[in-house]
Amino acid sequence: MGTPISDAQPRQRVCVIGKVTRMTARPTSGQPALAVSISDDTGTVTAVWTGRREIGGITLGRRVAIDGVPVRRADHLEFTNPGYTLLPR
Amino acid sequence: MRVIIAGAGSVGRYMAGQLQDSGHQVTLIDSDATVVTHGRATRLPVGVTWYLGDACEVATLSAVGAAEADVMAAVTGDDEDNLVVSLLAKQEFAVPRVVARVNNPKNEWMFTDMWGVDVSVSTPHLLTALVEEAVTVGSFVRLLSLEGGKARLAEVTLAAGSPAIAKEITDLGLPRESTVVAVLREGHVVVPRGDTVLHEGDEVLVLVTGGVEDDVRRALVG
Repeated sequence: MGTPISDAQPRQRVCVIGKVTRMTARPTSGQPALAVSISDDTGTVTAVWTGRREIGGITLGRRVAIDGVPVRRADHLEFTNPGYTLLPR
Repeated sequence: MRVIIAGAGSVGRYMAGQLQDSGHQVTLIDSDATVVTHGRATRLPVGVTWYLGDACEVATLSAVGAAEADVMAAVTGDDEDNLVVSLLAKQEFAVPRVVARVNNPKNEWMFTDMWGVDVSVSTPHLLTALVEEAVTVGSFVRLLSLEGGKARLAEVTLAAGSPAIAKEITDLGLPRESTVVAVLREGHVVVPRGDTVLHEGDEVLVLVTGGVEDDVRRALVG
């Protein structure tokens, strides 16, 4: 299971697996959102969860599976509120 | 472009007609069987595809092809519904452009990317801005918010005491994050150049990004 990140296409439902490489709690229009970069050997995607600043279990270096429909941002794909599964290291 | 409109009230039907006329492919969703049957029977607006269902359900959005849609417009008379449709469109179908109607201005703060909304349109807010624009001289009026408030179109009608009068636009000292996009003078639109000289009574339209509104106000209103 899990598609290599470089093979993920915008607007196609996909499940990717990778390690959390960056976490940013950002205010979007004054409301909270958690942006997490997830990377495998082929690339990086971003997952944004709105309305929260942290998610239990999602920490730097953690392996996670992300399941959702990404949109194309400037140079990467971004998921909005995707499903996630915490995986053993 | 493929446009899906949720809510076939007067706003939704009007939009559908206009967009279809401009060559877009429009699907109208409504949960009221009477409205949909009537729409299908009269074939109005011309060319529009009707769908009977609840736009707040993923199955409905999936059935009308949200996965391939370019624009989702949530324009029901219910703000909760509009927010749910917007969030689903963005989250489940990654629709590139989501436009939502704000019915109660008290709810406007929620219509942001937080709920998947790219552009929100609030009729009460627009009306207020237009009335304000019509009655005020010498003050700074916000007309329109773009990109979730990152850019704003504002208008100032220059009063007699304005520091901008008889100055060229380059000499106004406007911050880099702002641009004069049009000057309305005696019923004409003057395309602004650096050397355009402003007069009393000119309506100056300024596009402002970032937090420089106060500087723009200072330059134009004083």
